[in-house]
Amino acid sequence: MKITVDRNLCDGNGVCMGIAPDVFDIDDDLTLHIADEIPDDPEVHAQVRQSVTSCPVLALTLVE
Amino acid sequence: MSVAGDTSQTIVVAGGSLAGHTVVAELDRRGFTGDVVWVRGPEGTAPYSRPALSKELIQGKVTRDTIRLPVPERYGLRLRVLDHAVCARLDPDADRVLVTRTAGAGEEWIPFDALFVCTGMRARVPAAFTGLPGVHCLRTLADAERIKERLAGRPRTVVVGAGLIGSEMAASLRSCGLPVELVVQGRLPMEPVFGAELGRFCLDRHHAHGVTTRLGATVTGLSAAGPRGPVTLTYDDGERTSADLVVLGLGAVTSCDWLDGGGLDLSDGLGCDAALRTARPNVFAAGDVANWWHPVFGRRMRVEHWSNASAQARHAVESWSAAQEGREPAPFADVPYFWSDQYGLKYQMVGHAHGHDEVRVERTGADGHPFVTYFRAGRVVAAAGVNAPRAVMRMKARIQSEGMTTQGVYAG
Repeated sequence: MKITVDRNLCDGNGVCMGIAPDVFDIDDDLTLHIADEIPDDPEVHAQVRQSVTSCPVLALTLVE
Repeated sequence: MSVAGDTSQTIVVAGGSLAGHTVVAELDRRGFTGDVVWVRGPEGTAPYSRPALSKELIQGKVTRDTIRLPVPERYGLRLRVLDHAVCARLDPDADRVLVTRTAGAGEEWIPFDALFVCTGMRARVPAAFTGLPGVHCLRTLADAERIKERLAGRPRTVVVGAGLIGSEMAASLRSCGLPVELVVQGRLPMEPVFGAELGRFCLDRHHAHGVTTRLGATVTGLSAAGPRGPVTLTYDDGERTSADLVVLGLGAVTSCDWLDGGGLDLSDGLGCDAALRTARPNVFAAGDVANWWHPVFGRRMRVEHWSNASAQARHAVESWSAAQEGREPAPFADVPYFWSDQYGLKYQMVGHAHGHDEVRVERTGADGHPFVTYFRAGRVVAAAGVNAPRAVMRMKARIQSEGMTTQGVYAG
């Protein structure tokens, strides 16, 4: 599972970080950081999928 | 995840915004094999991202084509989409809804095995302010496009109401270089949401960016001189101002009056239990309209924000699935979250500050923005910050875990 972010779209609104805090982190400059390694945990994978479909600016893409 | 239902079942989804869209996507993801009838409402547009309207769309950074919500993964559903159509009535004696067309004629009763109510809210516009040229509310894509169209004429604008929509609109219009007056009905912008400290911070930002504010004022009259304005506003103190464009940000009302007589609790939105089930066992609610029992806070609430709509929609489908299989569904326990963009700053809030009895204000970041923690009976119930996502999200995790382990200590 790999996630890409379109930095032209991402505005650091934090929805993904609220859903999957172990994978997404936003710093105080509102830059999104994605974990290099996504834990091999079904619950985390479900959170990641939810984050991708819940992004209000459609900035996230999932590459399975 | 379980796949529930069978090919003979029909599910009706009422509402074409994020919650309805997510219910349909979730049924699709679970491989539901029955029929889905999706009554998308009067707008006649595919679902879109509403938060962008008052921000990126008004500022011209996005268009209607780029804010469309993505088509769900499979759409292998037996799906019938009804646009320009609304659910008009729920039969009290049978499991069926009356669907009427808002464009063209016609109505039909649609029987269902399950109904998801995701009809959200509509802008609150006093009857006397309705239909005046140059006076707009902001709820739908069409509203936002009508406002955007007027901006080319560089209108002098008055924004009435300084909640989230009003404050964001004022900021967006200033970023387009337009003159803006902001009418604040209370003492401070966003004070009912954020409290005094962040409200004052928000007011200072408006002033620093050249917005004129009118505090503690109520608009008592609006009149338009003609199709291209100007509009005259009369305030409760008798003063008047003139504007080319008036944007009303007076809040919203739930769109569930169509359920009246259907045997459901409509005292504030649509009443549900903790698992988003209504008084009728096969009717579920999600999104702005759902008034449910929140186990973390030990009280009923409605939440009118993005994250809540999609998370509740998924949860409502899970509750339906549990009922199919004779399981007891889990309560919906997400801690509310929303954000707001104004003048390049990101306001974020988690939790539910209603009824708080104490606040703690700290300064965060190089700019010393306020970070507010809200307490109730000595426990954290909410937190809000400016450009401080990590601190805000830490509080979200804390409120969630403390609330779930203590079950109800927030109640009262």
